[in-house]
Amino acid sequence: MHIAEGFLPVGHAVGWTIAAAPFVVHGARAVVREVRENPEATLLLGAAGAFTFVLSAIKLPSVTGSSSHPTGTGPGAILFRPPVMALLGTVVLLFQALLLAHGGLTTLGANAFAFAVVGPWVGYGAYRLTRAVGAGLLPAVFAGVALADLATYVTTSVQLALAFPDAGSGLAGALVKFLGVFAVTQIPLAVGEGLLGVLLFRALTGNARPELERLGILTPAPTGSAA
Amino acid sequence: MTGLAVDDAAWASAWRRRAPGDKLLLCGGLVVTALVLPAWPGSLLVGIAAVGLALGPARVPARTFGRAVRWPLAFVAVGAVTAVVQIGSGGPGWAPDAAATAGSLVGHAMAGGAAVLLLATTTPMSDLLPALRRARVPAAVVEVASVVYRLLFVLLDSLRTIREAQAARMGYSSLRRSYRSSGALAAAVLVRSWDRARRMQDGLAGRGMETGLRVLPETLPSSALFLTASGAGIAGIVTASLVLA
Repeated sequence: MHIAEGFLPVGHAVGWTIAAAPFVVHGARAVVREVRENPEATLLLGAAGAFTFVLSAIKLPSVTGSSSHPTGTGPGAILFRPPVMALLGTVVLLFQALLLAHGGLTTLGANAFAFAVVGPWVGYGAYRLTRAVGAGLLPAVFAGVALADLATYVTTSVQLALAFPDAGSGLAGALVKFLGVFAVTQIPLAVGEGLLGVLLFRALTGNARPELERLGILTPAPTGSAA
Repeated sequence: MTGLAVDDAAWASAWRRRAPGDKLLLCGGLVVTALVLPAWPGSLLVGIAAVGLALGPARVPARTFGRAVRWPLAFVAVGAVTAVVQIGSGGPGWAPDAAATAGSLVGHAMAGGAAVLLLATTTPMSDLLPALRRARVPAAVVEVASVVYRLLFVLLDSLRTIREAQAARMGYSSLRRSYRSSGALAAAVLVRSWDRARRMQDGLAGRGMETGLRVLPETLPSSALFLTASGAGIAGIVTASLVLA
């Protein structure tokens, strides 16, 4: 769930836009460099952005019988790296605002900071850290995707708490309120998105191994080892 | 029919042939006006103007407009209630000016949301993307965004088809099966997106277009009357708000 159009005060909307801008510009530069070196990357990056948009449209089953939607940035961060996701995530947010009325234009900066910057970086960091301590691909994917989802909603809660401090208990009280509503309720859904990521990568390992090797997710099998 | 109701409405809108720049100025003006003016009466006037223009001259179906505001309305309602609950020593309660604060939050958000929706339901994304190029966004970034727009309808169609097939095979009959089916669905859509991209690239390369698909953007003439009326309308909203407030 993204912060709706007009919900943030002017100063906060401008401030979060300024905070997100360096990451998005860095991502845009990475994309421009990639396209200059490999013109065919335009279509693959476009496919990655479209996949992120579509992934957020998949209904995630929950244990309570209801359903929610994944953020979709965790798998993207693992597959395409956080700088690229900063740009692709912002493009996806713009499309969600103008095609689905999710989020908004004045809140695009705040949503981009949570969804396209913090979520992918936390998720990618968790993925790399889990792999660095010797875990396999799938546990690392679970950690990366689940934490990317959770970090997005924790950041949204912090943004809302900063904008609307509690009248009695100030920022700390507001943080407790917004975390309780937007982040704690997200924990089962983050676990669900982590499981979805594991199933996604398990299917990709079987069906799209060459692409995962090209993206550096899997190491190529030694030649002749199959015999 | 593209499968996204807001996009369908944009292609069918009576304002489809209006210059995107004109509509950006009108809707951008309404968004900023909704944000900076006091909720009463500024947000109310902006909301009435945006909804009136969408359902009136732009001929956007009321059902499409109404359904599109459901998601933001859910966020706004939960967010506004959370913002005006106060945590004190005696437990949670309402903040002193809870009704006014909640009304202001809902007013700003609904008016701004209606203004964005006016733009979204009258201007297809393919008309807005060239405006990004004119705003000096790098060509490579605009081209990636264009590919996202072109591919997402194909992928959404694949998503629906595969999900229907899975459901027909009892793929969502239990929680465990639902997760397994959702994972396979996401993987199938990702592999299809890569395959589509690779085949599009091969097709373009075979035609000598190795740096992407360049098309002539449609030029829609700007209307001085529309711009004057937009400016006058926004000025009127600002004046009325200041006088009434």
